[in-house]
Amino acid sequence: MSHANRATEFNKDESKVNWHDKALWYVREKRDKSAHNVQGWEYLRQLGSGIKANVLSNLDEYLVQFESNAKSNGVQVHWASNAQEHNEIVSSILDRHNAKKVVKSKSMLTEECHLNPYLEAKGIEVVDTDLGERIVQLAEEPPSHIVLPAIHKTKEEVDELFQEHLGTKPSGGNPEYLVGEARKHLRDKFMKADAAITGVNFAVADTGGVVVCTNEGNADMGVHLSKVHIACMGIEKIIPKEKHLGVFLRLLARSATGQPITTYSSHFNKAEEGKEMHIVIVDNGRTEQLSREDFRASLHCIRCGACMNTCPIYRRSGGHSYDYTIPGPIGSILSPGKDLKKHSSLPFASTLCGSCSNVCPVKINIHEQLYKWRQVIVQEEKQPILKKSIMKTAGVVLSKPKLYKLAGKSARFALKYAPKFMIYNKLNAWGKARDLPEVKNDNFDDWYKKRNKNG
Amino acid sequence: MIGIKKEIKMGREAILKSIKKNKPELLPLPDINEEAFDESIDLIETFKSNIAIVGGTVREVDKETIDAEIKEQYPNKTNIISTTNKSILGTVQVDKSTDPHNLENIDLAIIEGDLGVSENGAIWVTANSSIIRVLPFITNDLVIILEKEKIHLHMLEAYDQIAQRDRNFGVFISGPSKTADIEQCLVVGAHGAMSLTVLLV
Amino acid sequence: MNKKRIKVGLFIPCYINQLYPQVGIATLELLEKLDVDVVYPQGQTCCGQPLGNSGYEEDSKGICNHFVENFKTYDFIVGPSGSCIYHIKQHFDILEQTPEVQKVRANAYELCEFIVKILGKTDLGASFPYKVGLHKSCHGLRGLKLGSCSEVQGEHYSTEEDLLSCVKGLELMSLNRKDECCGFGGTFAVFEEAISAKMGKDRVQDHLDSDVEVLTGADHSCLMHLEGIVNRNKQPLKVMHIAEILNSTL
Repeated sequence: MSHANRATEFNKDESKVNWHDKALWYVREKRDKSAHNVQGWEYLRQLGSGIKANVLSNLDEYLVQFESNAKSNGVQVHWASNAQEHNEIVSSILDRHNAKKVVKSKSMLTEECHLNPYLEAKGIEVVDTDLGERIVQLAEEPPSHIVLPAIHKTKEEVDELFQEHLGTKPSGGNPEYLVGEARKHLRDKFMKADAAITGVNFAVADTGGVVVCTNEGNADMGVHLSKVHIACMGIEKIIPKEKHLGVFLRLLARSATGQPITTYSSHFNKAEEGKEMHIVIVDNGRTEQLSREDFRASLHCIRCGACMNTCPIYRRSGGHSYDYTIPGPIGSILSPGKDLKKHSSLPFASTLCGSCSNVCPVKINIHEQLYKWRQVIVQEEKQPILKKSIMKTAGVVLSKPKLYKLAGKSARFALKYAPKFMIYNKLNAWGKARDLPEVKNDNFDDWYKKRNKNG
Repeated sequence: MIGIKKEIKMGREAILKSIKKNKPELLPLPDINEEAFDESIDLIETFKSNIAIVGGTVREVDKETIDAEIKEQYPNKTNIISTTNKSILGTVQVDKSTDPHNLENIDLAIIEGDLGVSENGAIWVTANSSIIRVLPFITNDLVIILEKEKIHLHMLEAYDQIAQRDRNFGVFISGPSKTADIEQCLVVGAHGAMSLTVLLV
Repeated sequence: MNKKRIKVGLFIPCYINQLYPQVGIATLELLEKLDVDVVYPQGQTCCGQPLGNSGYEEDSKGICNHFVENFKTYDFIVGPSGSCIYHIKQHFDILEQTPEVQKVRANAYELCEFIVKILGKTDLGASFPYKVGLHKSCHGLRGLKLGSCSEVQGEHYSTEEDLLSCVKGLELMSLNRKDECCGFGGTFAVFEEAISAKMGKDRVQDHLDSDVEVLTGADHSCLMHLEGIVNRNKQPLKVMHIAEILNSTL
């Protein structure tokens, strides 16, 4: 199923589309206000981009440096080439500690690796502790946004979900009440957890530490109350120096939600006495993306979600329409590298308006990469016969003025004289919600010739 | 177990080899021109207004009136931990060996912050000052005492200040815990502290 | 001093040629008023954008070469469509970069940009006594940087606003979303019909909510899409290319 089909489905409920669009536009506006308030914002983005470009060009060295510094702090470092290895490593650590109850803070990487079902099949309880993630976990859905995982759910839907799973009272969707109940429910999970899994926002090569950012405090509640902390990170999370956090933490939350910084920016360097800290470094297709010159910069991404909030298509099609762990513009340039066939409609789910590239805090040229993926997809994936023949024909006709003249004439003739039912039928997607232009007698060519004759 | 270990080792070498093969030519690490971020603003006033923006409360107090201010802000607290000698309101004693689970019912924690950041209202809190790492998160309400002269313009300055620390655990805290995960409605008090009061001395 | 007159090759994009001759006419008349030598090279077709944006860049090389062939002798190439000009500047990188290709890419200008930046004029003596809403097309705005974008930090500027604000009687209305995409996007309009139509509908509504009488812009492909929606829903909004307004003496 293509993005267009799923988007059409989402658009059947227009009031929900309007609501979804407005909620995310509100976040985009908050982002603008907050970002524009920072002296030197555009320079800050330039720095973020430059640092990330340097990281990618020296990634192996930084990873080795990171590993060695982490190890000297007593942290155990693991490497996983793919999702399977990642899940096995996490599972083996949990096994060694006989951990049956796990609390997990937000990590798109573990979503990407499908860690939860893997652990659940082994009888381990995994509780997502970010409220939005808990909501979608209870609903048995994937997140629809990387920063606002449950943005597709109304408060009334959350109310019903909590009644069913947490035994709450009907509240008509009172957010304060629902958050309070979730706090109690998850507090209990934190108190009983054997192990905590977190994602990693930044891994610092020159200290061997990792930084995790949350607003809720769930990563810290999990880590500080359990015996084992497992932090899972993609190889591209590395930054060279701790000082560079001064660049990225200024960019991240402002881009994500418009906050000046997340409530908690936690720096984990050493485990507490008597506890263990593990870091799992994961490739899972990233080194392959690194090899693609045109698409390499997609690995700059710091997962702020700004491109989703600004994208007029994402706002009106919902995160699930992308059917990929990372939805929206950034997902549309990451996903074809993972599975070109499956995700081949995503680079076309854009008008190439370029707003995504403008908000990106690390200046990924997202819309240009979308354009480039389109070229790759047409070369490598089978295209619909009709579209292909139209394009090929257009390529010939438009390079030959005489053919073009003829085609223009007949197209205008058809538009002008064909009966309406032929123009506005199911095959003509243009005409479903839009009228076609009214055709004049002369085209510009004709007019120009006549004028020159008369003049 | 041996099998897993072997795989893990292979993962490391495979990844590093693949990076070496696929990475572009070395690009320079940019220098940071901090002058580009200079602003002549009132550090304390901006810090205060940012604390308010992120949902915290801030008070400028004399050293002698700290406890009076805390009592006024939080009148009915019984289980109080103070990890600073600037307040004597603590009712529960803790040390490094205290089981963090025992802090489940702490009403109020009073701790000291190492430095503040004007641009975002964040305060750097270390494991050394909170004694137990979970304390600033698990407590129902949180008071952080911060010396005014320790407020810096932005995060880059802040990292210069904390560069020489003993690195175990530290956190920038900006306001009370919060979530907007239900329909973008901001609710203060998610998993961490329900309120934050910053006392500037 | 007797300055050599600028020689402009008028580029009329294929869909304007076929469907909106009045836009081409207004563009030509306007340029002639501005004292430049304008020639409309016969036999021009298209810039190749519809193919490139659909992933068929390879198949568009013949079109692009034909374009260069047609326009290589002019000082400037000027067209009333930011999107096509952007394509020439940005995506003619697929051609061998001969001096001709480089010249064409460097000297291709969107109409408003040409008038303001190259000719240095903003008051063209037009009058148009209506409430006008400006649709800032993305390729012009974010591609050619004809104006500041709401998401980028910096001073506000807008080439089109500079021109419209000099038109007598014209009242430029302020929109709620100043530079959101209209959802045209070339073949996107057909292959992502639901989203495209919804985006267009929302854009039109913003203009209606802002008391706009005439919706204008510098890219007629966006306007074609928006006009299609306006006409289908019989909404009280007239859609005109900015060249038509700048060429008006109402």
